[in-house]
Amino acid sequence: MEEVKNLEEIEVERFSAFDRFVHWLTAIPFVYLFLSGLGMYSPKFAWLLPFLGGKEFSAWLHKWAGVVFAVGVFLMFLRWANDFVLDSDDIRWLSNVKHYIKGEEEKLPEVGKYNAGQKIFGWMVFLGGALFLVTGIVMWFPESFPVNIVRLSILLHSLAFILVGAGFIVHVYMGTVGVPGSLSGIITGKVSALWAMHHHPKWFRQIMRR
Amino acid sequence: MATVTTEGTVGLGLRRVSASKSPDQSVKQADQLAILVDISSCIGCKACEAACSQWHDLKPPLNVGQQAFFGYQSGPGLAPNLFMYMRFQEEETPNGLVWAITKYQCMHCADPGCLKACPSPGAIVQYANGVVDFDHSKCIGCKFCLSGCPFDVPRYDANNKPWKCNFCIDRVSAGLEPMCVKTCPTNALHFGTKEEMLIRANKLLEGLKKRGFEKASIYDPPGVGGTGYIYLLPHGDKPEMYGLPKEASISPLVSLWKGPLKLIGSIVLWGTLLGAFLQLILFGPIKVGKKHKKEE
Repeated sequence: MEEVKNLEEIEVERFSAFDRFVHWLTAIPFVYLFLSGLGMYSPKFAWLLPFLGGKEFSAWLHKWAGVVFAVGVFLMFLRWANDFVLDSDDIRWLSNVKHYIKGEEEKLPEVGKYNAGQKIFGWMVFLGGALFLVTGIVMWFPESFPVNIVRLSILLHSLAFILVGAGFIVHVYMGTVGVPGSLSGIITGKVSALWAMHHHPKWFRQIMRR
Repeated sequence: MATVTTEGTVGLGLRRVSASKSPDQSVKQADQLAILVDISSCIGCKACEAACSQWHDLKPPLNVGQQAFFGYQSGPGLAPNLFMYMRFQEEETPNGLVWAITKYQCMHCADPGCLKACPSPGAIVQYANGVVDFDHSKCIGCKFCLSGCPFDVPRYDANNKPWKCNFCIDRVSAGLEPMCVKTCPTNALHFGTKEEMLIRANKLLEGLKKRGFEKASIYDPPGVGGTGYIYLLPHGDKPEMYGLPKEASISPLVSLWKGPLKLIGSIVLWGTLLGAFLQLILFGPIKVGKKHKKEE
């Protein structure tokens, strides 16, 4: 029990300053894009736009926030694409994901720095980000493209919004309430050793060996 | 834009409002209005074009200097400050070379694609008389109306606000005919209720057929529920030569986006939120130390 207490007090670095910077460079524009996009996507949420700076302003800033978001996603891709390659343990993890939802991580294969869910959300962001960028540029300059390409772009932009939006809801839940102790990793960069040992044992052993 | 009030009890009744529920149709009622363009009587004088610009205080672009060739037309097409233009196209037909001259502007669809695509409540309205109009104060400048339109009509100005023919709604609601109709020197333009205009069009159609235009037809595309501008086409088998799409309808891509995808989106996004909440209350947060407590 002593040992456990100690582990709780020891902090290990999970995300470097660059990691955190890139995360928030992407995340802050994304929150604006999500809310203003929701206001434009669904008339039921049109009331959001005045809170985001006004109807015309939020439609205008949506585009430029998208440019920053695209840069962020590109840097994320360079930083994390290798780490997010799925292996056979990840497939087993995914097929038994019900144990994770129930909080029975011990019944699952040991996880490295990222679990399969995080990796999949990463790929959703990479692919969704690329789709958002391409279709977004078409929607920004609809007079410069054939009208059916513009129509298809709006459809795909909405589809990407639904998928990445759902992933975003899960991501925020897991990062805050769902998995206590995670949030500090992306703010100060540090997590408790106990948290690391419990949720990411393979990664924890790697950093302990160093 | 129109001077007609769209809010409160004053002014014209509304049939459709973008991104909103339709108002009760039983309170304010009006006949469906229409303009019949009898292309066989049009001499291409462009008086309607000039009258339109004059009434709406527009100064259409002067196309001088290096421009792509656009022939006898005033310009290459519609512009934010050109709500309608006369379109000229030469076409070979069995009757010989034909100069197809078309008055081109917003068609005022009964089922307007622009209004369907518009995400901003009230930015596009359809009055009870069928006229489709924009309300710039409610427009967010997203340009979605361009994708909704089957006729490529709205044109955006430098401030990202769209412009188009408004059927002279200010004149019409005061009991006057639209400016283009008032000006037309050859009676190629007729204004009245849709019902009357269709009767008149059918009479003119008979005459045309007697004169040898066997393929003459009335252009009132059913794909958009009919239009507020109907055309009597001497060569009705080839509406493209008048710049009119053969099968005008709202693109299925737009219908898919505004229909099933909206429903799927609601289910997926609300479902995800509900799922996260259920995980929280049924199983609780995925905490460190659960295992250790059990071991104790």
